[in-house]
Amino acid sequence: MVEMADKQKNMTPQQQKYQQLQQKHELKRPVLKNCFKAFWVGGLICVVGQAISYLYIYFFDFTEQNVGNPTVATMVFLSMLLTGFGVYDRLGQFAGAGSAVPVTGFGNAVISAAIEHRTEGFVLGVGGNMFKLAGSVILFGVFSAFVVALIKTLLGMWGVL
Amino acid sequence: MVYILRLIIVMVFASVMVSCNQDKNVNDSQLALMKTTNPNPIVTEKNIGEDKVKKIEKEVSNLDELYDVAVVKGKRDTLVVYKVKHMQRFKMNKIEKDLTKRLKKNFPKENITVSSDYKIFLEAVRLVEKKNNGDLSDKQAEKRLNEIIKMTSEMK
Repeated sequence: MVEMADKQKNMTPQQQKYQQLQQKHELKRPVLKNCFKAFWVGGLICVVGQAISYLYIYFFDFTEQNVGNPTVATMVFLSMLLTGFGVYDRLGQFAGAGSAVPVTGFGNAVISAAIEHRTEGFVLGVGGNMFKLAGSVILFGVFSAFVVALIKTLLGMWGVL
Repeated sequence: MVYILRLIIVMVFASVMVSCNQDKNVNDSQLALMKTTNPNPIVTEKNIGEDKVKKIEKEVSNLDELYDVAVVKGKRDTLVVYKVKHMQRFKMNKIEKDLTKRLKKNFPKENITVSSDYKIFLEAVRLVEKKNNGDLSDKQAEKRLNEIIKMTSEMK
């Protein structure tokens, strides 16, 4: 906020006038509409995930505790396929965070980076850039899992949990 | 966009058609993950502990947090499986602890295994169905019960 005020102070009167004009004509983002779309599409993706986990419980020997692993793998695989077919990108444009926040967004991030860099070759292009976006998810995911496990272990040792 | 909308409409239509299909041949176990089944409690060996298994079921059903209970009693072990109401699922561990304590207090001679896992519930309902239909002998039912109980111990 302070930075913005400083910037405005440094502007010439002409620039300030232009800024006001730009703000007047700037299109407002439909935040509520976007939230609504994200909510429904994100929810639908979760319903599909729930159905897949029920299928694994019903037809295979997975319990409620370990069914998450094959379900996540399946959802990521499906989103990778859909990204390759160009369907997930459209869904992403429509639903925004609704399609990016569930685990399917991870598959989309991996494959879209791979597709983007395929012209640079298999090793340095696809291999080197595949985890350009998803790498940070893995890094911070692993780190936060480590921190949570550490807290849980300590609380267990102190008899709180 | 139109394609996605069409896909959603077809999916909703298909799910409505499937759910409206009132086929009487559908077993409880086929819908056990989605609806309340409350199967009758069974014992793997006839005429041994049938009263006790009913008492255990009544005791567990009395808990307000639970809504679907299956009890199977074997020669040595008894399996109690239940579903927890949606808003109570935050307190799953506490409910399991309290229930185990309560059952140990009221049925000290019984070796009771308690679980709220959907898979265990499904397998218990399948076992009850097969036993009631006569598809399983007492010995086979006892063997299957022990396998299910082993599955619960592997989760801990």
